[in-house]
Amino acid sequence: MSAFLQYVVNGLTSGAFLALVALGYTMIYGVIRLINFAHGDVLMVGSFIGYEVAVTLVAQHWPVAVIVLLALLAGMAFTGGLGMVIERVAYQPLLNASRLAILISALGVSLALEQGVELIFGAGYSAYPNILPTAGFTFAGARASYVQVGMFGLSLLLMGGLYLFVNRTMAGTAMRALAMDRDAAALMGINVPRTILLTFMLGSVLAGASGVMQGMYYTEINFFMGFLLGLRAFTAAVLGGIGNIPGAMVAGLLIGLIGSFSDGYISSEWSDAIIFAVLIAVLVFKPTGLFGERVAERV
Amino acid sequence: MKRVGLRAAAPAILAAVALTATACSSASSSGSASSSSSSSASAGPIIIGVPVPLSGEYASAGVDILHGAQLAASNINAAGGVLGRKIEVVGQDDACLASTGSQAAQKLISQGIVAAAGGYCSTAAFPELEAFHRAGIPYVMDASTNPELTEQGFAQAFRTIGRDDEQGPIAASYITGYLHATRVAVGNDNSTYAKGLAVATIAALQKDGATVVFNNALTPGQSDYTSFLTKVAQSKPQVFYYTGYYPEFGLLLKQAKQLGLKFTMMGGDANNDPTLLKTAGTAANGAMMTTAPLAQFLSSATAYVSAYTAKYGTGPGPYSSYEYDAVGVVAQAIKDAGSTTPSKITAALKTISYNGITGDFHFDGVGDRQPVNYIVIIVQNDQFAAFKKFDNTTSQWVNVNS
Repeated sequence: MSAFLQYVVNGLTSGAFLALVALGYTMIYGVIRLINFAHGDVLMVGSFIGYEVAVTLVAQHWPVAVIVLLALLAGMAFTGGLGMVIERVAYQPLLNASRLAILISALGVSLALEQGVELIFGAGYSAYPNILPTAGFTFAGARASYVQVGMFGLSLLLMGGLYLFVNRTMAGTAMRALAMDRDAAALMGINVPRTILLTFMLGSVLAGASGVMQGMYYTEINFFMGFLLGLRAFTAAVLGGIGNIPGAMVAGLLIGLIGSFSDGYISSEWSDAIIFAVLIAVLVFKPTGLFGERVAERV
Repeated sequence: MKRVGLRAAAPAILAAVALTATACSSASSSGSASSSSSSSASAGPIIIGVPVPLSGEYASAGVDILHGAQLAASNINAAGGVLGRKIEVVGQDDACLASTGSQAAQKLISQGIVAAAGGYCSTAAFPELEAFHRAGIPYVMDASTNPELTEQGFAQAFRTIGRDDEQGPIAASYITGYLHATRVAVGNDNSTYAKGLAVATIAALQKDGATVVFNNALTPGQSDYTSFLTKVAQSKPQVFYYTGYYPEFGLLLKQAKQLGLKFTMMGGDANNDPTLLKTAGTAANGAMMTTAPLAQFLSSATAYVSAYTAKYGTGPGPYSSYEYDAVGVVAQAIKDAGSTTPSKITAALKTISYNGITGDFHFDGVGDRQPVNYIVIIVQNDQFAAFKKFDNTTSQWVNVNS
């Protein structure tokens, strides 16, 4: 029983990080029908920005809370900007080209980011300074650290913020309109390029937040970290019904739990196989995802 | 890493080219010396070949090893040389590749070497050994740990480093004999090396009477191993021995601390990397690793470490001390044989007993170093520190520098 609860705690933690990334996949797919394969790498870049900030500030003995906050803000701000630049440079010119062209462009961006970071930071591992306390509490035999709870809470807060933004603001409404029908949205006076840009920025900011949070929490980062994380998050986005924002949040947590349970009850060697088997099963049996695509497919 | 390696390699390649050039000019004289009469003290130097990676990803390791060989040669020459002649080491780039290794060995042989001492990657060491074997030239390897190298039955194969399958029994001996654990968990990462070490360790643990309560692999490259660790904890081990590499072991240490797990964490010799200390922070303290001793952990190598650092401005790296002993043992064998004929050097190596900076050793029937020299190191105050070694005379685990 205590082990079961521990697997739930472990799964929800990694799931919350995944959900933030899955949201970016789903939002971007919603507005331009593109699987943004560079998304995991945007997260990786955010993680490295946070690393630079954290290392610099730790050397100057700033208080831990300030370091965490500044690293997070710097990571989010940088990835937000990076997301917009990527959209302008690599996707905007190809919006009306074939789907394949823009997909190849996304792969190119992904490789460029990975190789760029490898050149700057090297192929080895970098480690965030170990500044967060490991203290925690035990509940019914399962252990959680305060930091873990904080990270989970922060992820939920960011997701909640996004949900409110998309549903309660003018810009969010424009995003949803765009997801339903780009041409009709344009006819309604929505500034399509600007809304697409905004979507990329929001998705990238969440990825950046996830990258810095994971760096702070796990400490070990490298230029290749975005690849597997991206694939897992993409699986979550598909599982939640790609384009469906609440679906991505729930499915992110679900993928975290599936990974944790297969680590615990089957074997860690099999976790990725199981997660990607879920992806295949969803694509074959329920292509619209567990929660269905909220936006009707355009004819 | 690659970038640094290439940058470090550039001067090394120049150095190697320069060395090769000087060696070429003297090759004819030494060649004629060995063919005419080995007893007459010829003026030309005795040449020892050093095949190591001087380009590519592992260039910096190769440069360290070549430096160790050069330092050994200059110390031997300062003490009067061998048989009245000077020792000269000639580096040759094998790029850590099988194809380049084969060429490197051929180039060295054509330069009239009497013995080879070096090597880094086992991949390149195989064809090198094959070529030296055919030429009848002894090859003392300093860093290639693949068991198969010496198991092929080549009389010319020797090594000053331990082999992968010797580490498992040492780890098991420490876990059962010093930590007195009866319930042991073993984890690996599914790589050939880690799996091999896990299998060897488990077999030895069972022979020593311990119960292996957990044996499973994790998937490397992930960040979250908390559920893997929870599963390990379910088997209630006293010791967890991880045979994989440092990126995962660092995370395991950190997350075990966070989960409040109390069993002892131990790792194999791929975990002896400073990155682990950065990743795990204070959670690394108390973790132990089995490893071939680094020069800085050995009181017998103190003078070597300071001489190396003074001369080259960096630390001696993990293997250069084994190369220092490889060149040293070859020089000793030439003295013992009283000859520079490769077959006589080979015969002398078979019976040699050598006091090296990495410890006293001789070679067994297949050319492997005896006694086995793995030690246990521990992380203390966020640093690796030498801890325990097996004392063969008392069959006890004692402090490394006692």
